[in-house]
Amino acid sequence: MGFQAFLDIAVVALRFMLPLYAVVIIYQCYASMRRHRRPEKPLVTLELKDSGHQIPVLFWENSIGRSKGSDICVNDPAVSRDHCVLLRRQEGWMVSDIGSKGGTYVNGRKARSRTQVLIDDEITVGTTTFVLKRGDEFQDRIRPSWFFSKASNKGSLQPYKLMLLITFFHLFMTVEACFTNEVQDFAPFTVFVLLELLLWAFFFTSTFAFKRINFELEALASFLTGIGVILLVRQEMRSAYVQLIAAAIGIVLFCIVVKFIENPDRVNSWRMTIMIGAVALLAINLIFGTVQYGAANWIRIGSISVQPSEFVKVAYIFVGAAALDKLQTKRNFLEFIVFSAVCVGALALMGDFGTALIFFATFLIIAFMRSGDFKTVLLALVSVVFAGTIVLKFKPYVADRFAAWGHVWEHAQDTAYQQARVLTYTASGGLCGVGVGNGYLKYIGASESDLVFGLVAEEMGVIVAFAIVIAIVTLSFYARAITTRSRSTFYSISACCAAGLMVIQTALNVFGATDILPLTGVTLPFVSAGGSSIIACWGLLAFIKAADERTYAAKRLKKHK
Amino acid sequence: MKRIMTRSILVFVVTLAVFAGVCLLAFRLVTQNEQWVAQPYNGHVASSNGLAQAGDVLDRDDVVLAYTNDSEQRIYHDDYSTRCALMHVVGDNSLNISTAVQSMYRGDLTGYSLVWGLGLPKSLRTNNSIELTVDADACKAAYEAFGGKDGACVVYNYKTGEILVDVSAPTYDPQNPPEITEENEKEYDGVYLDNAVSSSYTPGSIFKTVTAVAAIEHIPDIYSRTFECTGAYDIDGEIITCEDAHGTIDFTTAFSHSCNVAFAQMAVEVGDENMTKIATQMGFNVTFEVSGITLSKSVYNLENALGDNQLGWSGIGQFEDLANPMHMAMMCGAIANNGTPVTPFLLGSDSSFLQKVGLTKAKESKQMLSEDTAKKVQDLMRSTADYYYNARGLTMGGLNFCAKTGTAEVGEDKEPNAWIIGYTEDEEHPYAFAVVVEEGGYGISGAAPIAQAAISSLVNNP
Repeated sequence: MGFQAFLDIAVVALRFMLPLYAVVIIYQCYASMRRHRRPEKPLVTLELKDSGHQIPVLFWENSIGRSKGSDICVNDPAVSRDHCVLLRRQEGWMVSDIGSKGGTYVNGRKARSRTQVLIDDEITVGTTTFVLKRGDEFQDRIRPSWFFSKASNKGSLQPYKLMLLITFFHLFMTVEACFTNEVQDFAPFTVFVLLELLLWAFFFTSTFAFKRINFELEALASFLTGIGVILLVRQEMRSAYVQLIAAAIGIVLFCIVVKFIENPDRVNSWRMTIMIGAVALLAINLIFGTVQYGAANWIRIGSISVQPSEFVKVAYIFVGAAALDKLQTKRNFLEFIVFSAVCVGALALMGDFGTALIFFATFLIIAFMRSGDFKTVLLALVSVVFAGTIVLKFKPYVADRFAAWGHVWEHAQDTAYQQARVLTYTASGGLCGVGVGNGYLKYIGASESDLVFGLVAEEMGVIVAFAIVIAIVTLSFYARAITTRSRSTFYSISACCAAGLMVIQTALNVFGATDILPLTGVTLPFVSAGGSSIIACWGLLAFIKAADERTYAAKRLKKHK
Repeated sequence: MKRIMTRSILVFVVTLAVFAGVCLLAFRLVTQNEQWVAQPYNGHVASSNGLAQAGDVLDRDDVVLAYTNDSEQRIYHDDYSTRCALMHVVGDNSLNISTAVQSMYRGDLTGYSLVWGLGLPKSLRTNNSIELTVDADACKAAYEAFGGKDGACVVYNYKTGEILVDVSAPTYDPQNPPEITEENEKEYDGVYLDNAVSSSYTPGSIFKTVTAVAAIEHIPDIYSRTFECTGAYDIDGEIITCEDAHGTIDFTTAFSHSCNVAFAQMAVEVGDENMTKIATQMGFNVTFEVSGITLSKSVYNLENALGDNQLGWSGIGQFEDLANPMHMAMMCGAIANNGTPVTPFLLGSDSSFLQKVGLTKAKESKQMLSEDTAKKVQDLMRSTADYYYNARGLTMGGLNFCAKTGTAEVGEDKEPNAWIIGYTEDEEHPYAFAVVVEEGGYGISGAAPIAQAAISSLVNNP
C-alpha cells in the first residue's frame, strides 16, 4: 500500500460519493418545491344573496358559468355556459364579462370591460346574485393536492444550505477535473471560482434585492448549469468560459422575464410586438443563416455565432399563453396558430427538424391547454405525420437517421456512429463514471451538446446522468402542481408549456443519442454546451418561476407580518 | 383555472412517456451493457494498454497462452508455432480478430462490470482469467501439419462439447503482429478471420454423408440397389464425372469409393425438396452459436439450380454448397452420438462470470438425424475408414475411427480444397473432427494428415 494506492482509493471514494450526492441535491430541491406553499385557504368567499350559501374562491382567476368545468358553477338557466371571469389583480378584485348573453352586473350596473368589485359588493349573473366576502369567513377545510401534502412556509432545507450543497458538488467535480489521467493542473479552479461567484451573486440578488424567499427552482437550474460548465473544462477551456458567460446572460434574462411578466395584462399588450420580433429573428436567420451539422440555424456576428431559434422558444411561450378572460377570444387563438405555423415552417426550411419538432409538440400542449379540444390536437398530429413523411422523402440525411434507428451496431461506422459511441461509453462509465475528464466520448463531435447524456454517463456515471433527466422531469411535475395557484392562467399555461418543452427536448436529446428514438440533434436543457441554448433555458425557467404566486408577493408578505 | 389544471394532464402524460423511455433505456443498459462495451473502438479497452490489466488466458492444462507482465506488456506463449496456432482463438493486442477471446471477452478479462465501469484506477481493478478448452500441444501439431497452407482444423469432444483444437491459417505471430501493407496483403488475405468458425467452403465429397442420409430416409430399397458407373453420367444432357469407372457397385461401396455418379443419381431421385429438408435438418442454412461466436452458415440452396443436373452436382457437394468446418465437426458429433450433437464450446468452466452467462455449459442441440439412420451412417463411415484409409496408412493415434474425405473443385484454375471429416470411436478419446485445406488437393493426402497430427497429439499427450 503505497501513496499511489491511497490516492487511488481517495479518487474512487470521491467518484462514488458524487452520484449519491447528486441524488440528495435533486431530492432536496424537489422536497423544497413541495413545501413552499401557503396553507389551503380561500382568497375570498362568494355568498349567495338569497340562501346565504358560501362558495370559496380558491384561484386568482375564476371562471363563472353554467358549464360543469367552471371554477364557480352556477346552476341557473339564465347564465351562459362561460359567463364571466372573477379575477384578482394588484388593484384588487375585478369582474370581466366574456361575451355572456345576459350580461354581468356589479351593484346593479352592467360591467362592460373589467370592473372592480370590493368586499360586500354584489355581482349579478342571470338571476343569481353573489355578495363578495372575505376569505377567512369560510369555515370548511380544503384538502391540499398530493404534491403539497406537507405545505409550509419554509423549504425542507434553507435555500443557502441548498446552495452550499450545490457549491460543494461543483467543487468535488472540479477536484476530479484537476486530477485526470492525462493532465493534472489547477486550471479548472478558475472556472469553478467564477461559476460560484455568479451563482452566489444570483442567490444574494434574489434573496436580498428581490426579497424572494424560495430559490429551489433556481438552485436546480444552477446545479445543472454548473455540471455543464465543469464538464467542458477538460474538453475545451474556451467553451467553458463561453458557457459561463452565456449562463450569466441567461440568469439576467431570467430576472428580466420574471420582472416583465409581473403584470399579465401588460404582457398582453406586448404580444404583437414580441410576435413580430420573433418572426423577424427567424427571417434574418433564414436569409443570413450559415449551415452547421446539416441545418442552417446559425447566425454569425463576428466571432460569435448564435442560434435565433432558441430565443424564439421563449417568445413562443409568451405568445401562446393568455389570461383567463382573454383565453377564449378567437382572435387571440388565431394569431397564435398563424405564429406557430410560421415558426415551424421557418425551422423546417432551415432544416432544423429537431427544433421544429419541439415547437410542434409545444404547440400541441398549448393548443390543448387553451381549447381543451382533443380532436384538434389529434388532427394536428396526423397532419404532421404526413408532413414528416414528405420530409423523409426529400431530405435524405433525415431518412438516413431513421434507417440507422434501431440498427446501431450494423451502422456503427457510418450513420449510427454517434449513437454507437454514446452507448459504448455510457456502459463503460459504469454506475459512477470514469471521472471528469477521463472519458473518450469527448473526442467525438457534438459530444458536449447533442451527445452530452453519454458524456455525463461516461465521466460521472449513469446514476448522475439519469438523475439529471429526472431533475428536468421534476420541473414538469412542479409546473403542473402549481397550476391552480398561479396569479393568472397566463402563468399556469406558460409554466406547463415551458416545462413540457424542456421535458420533450430532454427526451429527444437523451433518447436520440441512445437509440430509443432517431437522433435529432437537440440540446439537453441547462447541461449541453451552447450559449443560445442555455440562455433560452433560463428564459423558459422564468415562466415556471412566475407561476408560483409568491414570486411577486414577497414584499407585501413581509409588510403583512 | 380548474379546466387548465385538467388539461395540463397532457403535460403529465408526456412526462410519463418520457419516464417510460428512461425505464426502457435503463433496462437495455442492464441487459446489454456487455455488448455495448465490447466494441473495437472503445477507447477504454482498445487503447495501447487496453490489455494492461487483463487476466491470463489458459489452455485446458492451465498452460498460459497469454498474460500481462509487471511492465504491463501482454506476453503470449513462448513457443512461436503455438502462438501462431492459437492466434485466432486467443487473439492479439488489437481487436481485429472479432471472434477471439481477447476481443469478445476483453471486458471480462479487464474486470468490467456495470457497477464499476472501466474507470477504476489500475491498483484497484480485479481482473479475471479465462480458461479455454483447447489443447495447446494439439493445436501446435495441427498448425505445423498445415505446412504453410491455408485452411482450418477443428477437433472437439463429441461427448462433452469441449473444443480441443481450433486452428486457422493464414495466421501471424501475435507477439509481433505484421504490418499489413499493399505489398503483403495477398499473403495475409483473410488473416483476421478464424476460418474454423467464420468461413464456409465448398464441401465436395464430404457432402455425400448428407446425401447418404437423404437416400437412407427417402429411398426405401437403397441397400438392395446397385449403380452402374462408367466414369461419367449424363443427367439432362450434361455430364457428371467420376474419379474412376467404379463399375457396378452397391450403396456402401459407392460411399466408400466416393462415387459421384451414384450419389448424383441418389440426389436426383430424392428430389430437391427432400434434399433441402434433410440438409437443413443436419444444420445447413442454420445459424449456430458456439461460446457466443456466431458461426458462418453452411449453405445448401437449390433456388438457383437449373434442373436435375445441378441438383445432382449439389448432391456431391459442388454447385453452390458451402460447409463451415465447426458445423462439419458438429455434424460428425451428431452421427457419433446417434443423431443428436452436443454443442461445442470454447470457454472452460473456471470463469465464474462466463458460467453465469451460461456460455460454458455443454448443451444438447437439436437432433440432426434419427438414431437408426445415424447408426447406418456410422457403418458407412467406418467401412470407408477400414477399407480405404487404413489401407493408406492413415491412423488416428491408434484409435478406431470413422471418416469421409472430400476433394472440392473450386474452379478458377485452383487446386481443389481438401477435406476430411469424421470421429474416433473410443470411450476415453471421443473426438469429432473436420479439416479443410485450401488448394490442398486430395482429401486423403491434403487434409487427413492434419487430423492425424492433431489427434495423435491428443492421444499421446493426455
